[in-house]
Amino acid sequence: MSDTVNDAMGPTLLERRGAIRQLEGHVTGCAIARDSQQVAFVTGEGDVVLADRADWGRADAWNVQTVHDGAILAVAPDAAPTGFLTGGDDNTLRRMAADGSVSDLVRGRRWIEHVTTWCDDKGKGGVIAFASGRQVELRDAGGHGTLKVLEHPSTVSGIVFDAKGKRIAASHYNGASMWFVQAKVDTVRPLEWKGSHIGIAIHPGGEALVTSMQESELHGWRLSDGHNMRMSGYPSKVQSMAFTRNGKWLVTSGADTIVMWPFFGGGPMGKPPAEAGGIPGVMCTRVACHPVHDIVAAGFADGSVLMADTGAQRILPVCMGGGEAVSALAFSPDGCALAFGTEDGRASVVDLSAR
Amino acid sequence: MSDTAQAAPDAAAQNALVPVTVLTGFLGAGKTTLLNHILTAQHGRKYAVVVNEFGELGVDNDLVVDADEEVFEMNNGCICCTVRGDLIRILGNLMKRRAKFDGIIVETTGLADPAPVAQTFFVDEDVRGRTRLDAVVTVVDAYNVIQTLEESPEAVNQIAFADVIILNKTDLVDEAGLEAIEKRIRSINAVARLHRARRGDVKLSDVLDQGGFDLQRALEHAPHFLEDTSHSHEADVTSLSYEVEEPLDAAKFQAWIGAVLQEQGADILRAKGILNYAGEDQRFAFQAVHMMADGGFIGPWKEGEPRVSRLVFIGRNLNRPQLRRGFESCRAK
Repeated sequence: MSDTVNDAMGPTLLERRGAIRQLEGHVTGCAIARDSQQVAFVTGEGDVVLADRADWGRADAWNVQTVHDGAILAVAPDAAPTGFLTGGDDNTLRRMAADGSVSDLVRGRRWIEHVTTWCDDKGKGGVIAFASGRQVELRDAGGHGTLKVLEHPSTVSGIVFDAKGKRIAASHYNGASMWFVQAKVDTVRPLEWKGSHIGIAIHPGGEALVTSMQESELHGWRLSDGHNMRMSGYPSKVQSMAFTRNGKWLVTSGADTIVMWPFFGGGPMGKPPAEAGGIPGVMCTRVACHPVHDIVAAGFADGSVLMADTGAQRILPVCMGGGEAVSALAFSPDGCALAFGTEDGRASVVDLSAR
Repeated sequence: MSDTAQAAPDAAAQNALVPVTVLTGFLGAGKTTLLNHILTAQHGRKYAVVVNEFGELGVDNDLVVDADEEVFEMNNGCICCTVRGDLIRILGNLMKRRAKFDGIIVETTGLADPAPVAQTFFVDEDVRGRTRLDAVVTVVDAYNVIQTLEESPEAVNQIAFADVIILNKTDLVDEAGLEAIEKRIRSINAVARLHRARRGDVKLSDVLDQGGFDLQRALEHAPHFLEDTSHSHEADVTSLSYEVEEPLDAAKFQAWIGAVLQEQGADILRAKGILNYAGEDQRFAFQAVHMMADGGFIGPWKEGEPRVSRLVFIGRNLNRPQLRRGFESCRAK
């Protein structure tokens, strides 16, 4: 650990290049549209806040509207260049277009706890996936045509598409299940490990699938041969994890430093994780990886956010703590914005574009 | 996880935690009736309710959550540590709209073992950090209970786990029958508060806001319990209670209770205690479910209150003299 956040550094990045808005209720997630032109924050009160790129510096111009009758549990960019999908504890999945108009995709009988989308580079072919109870449903990019419904042995705790959108994986009790999106006959690839798996991430090159476990550790499977990997030593549960763009590192929350497991040179088996800065005694709660540069962002339990260089051990404070935990964190696909939200309702966007 | 030395939130922080009431009871005992009674009563409070059977609830409450009772085994070295993972998830999500309710009620299915629900409150850091188990409330059908207890170990466990027992359908049994039933219930769990009801018509103050495991309050309701040494069927679930008048050495107690729970945790369904640690002005409350335990200081002794350490075990195959000697050996020198 070479650096920690030092508050004698003058105005923070948020003060210089960002805007902040106080919302009603817990920020439960944030997402940025695929065209990087709009940020969406979602809250425990059912509100969606849209911030257009032109208004990233002017929080009072952000548009707030109530979209769900209850907490919003999941948000993802739509499987299209613009718009968002939100799932809630009112058992609905809704689509919000860039202009703020809302339409219903699903009215179900259970909470919609996870939503994720995949879209090809041209923004044409896309797939929507959402999890509700033990089921994962796949829909076409239009959102109304069901491609398939995948059943799991227990409630699904996380879903992820691989980088090419060919496979989808879901975490649950006693492991994870992997399925081919386009298969005519659905045959599961079961990846088994006893215990409660509470989150999931996939290596961008498809080399490994990693889950977070109730016992404050990670479990991984090398996808080429199903070899098990165990990554442990966390003081608390890992709520957030992300692979760097090139798949070299798996970056996670769950400790008072940003923990990074090496996925190169034979790792992570038998290799200790690297630490990319942190705040002594304050847990990291959210992480995100920059889509272009070797930079990670991390949010902490006191509301602090910082960015760190994965190669050079440099730390850049984004915002100082003093509030409740960071509960949402995302980079825009073009890397020009970092958005984050906290449990006490602060929503922020920082403009990272060259000036 | 038998480590009892973990710092628990102090009394003030405890009050900021959302109280969770766990409602158990055998099939047909009247759980749903009681739940409807609680939810429709005019108490000016809002409850989020976690149920198993959607649609049975007669009230329109937007905070009713359907759960699947998904139990898993923790890989933490405790042989009997099963946990409700679905509850961890649901409570976590409910806390995102914390301002919308005052408390949470979790209903279990009739055949459920209460241990995984209770253990969930010990195991998960986020659940512990935001909620507290206020009480396990067990509804018992007076008309069928004696037979049910003969036939079903789950029913015995539900009574053993209870902080509050609602003896329901008392209009179907005469007074002598009720007394026999209460005696049988007391032989299993001598410290639970016991209330009679007809159609779930209990006072809400008997069910909600029980303050968890206030043993002193429990003992007020069972004045003869401490003197009663007539329990003889060792293989049956019974309650054992101990008192030590001298202050206890905290480290010795932690070491002893840790070893007891490690060795006999499978047979100990619940343990609770109010302890007088040497050199401390506050009461220390201790509780355990099987091998999982925690504790914390819960405020000063009342004026004139005898500073006595009390400990209760509810379980099977418990060795009374051995546990007594162990507890007494924790006295501070």
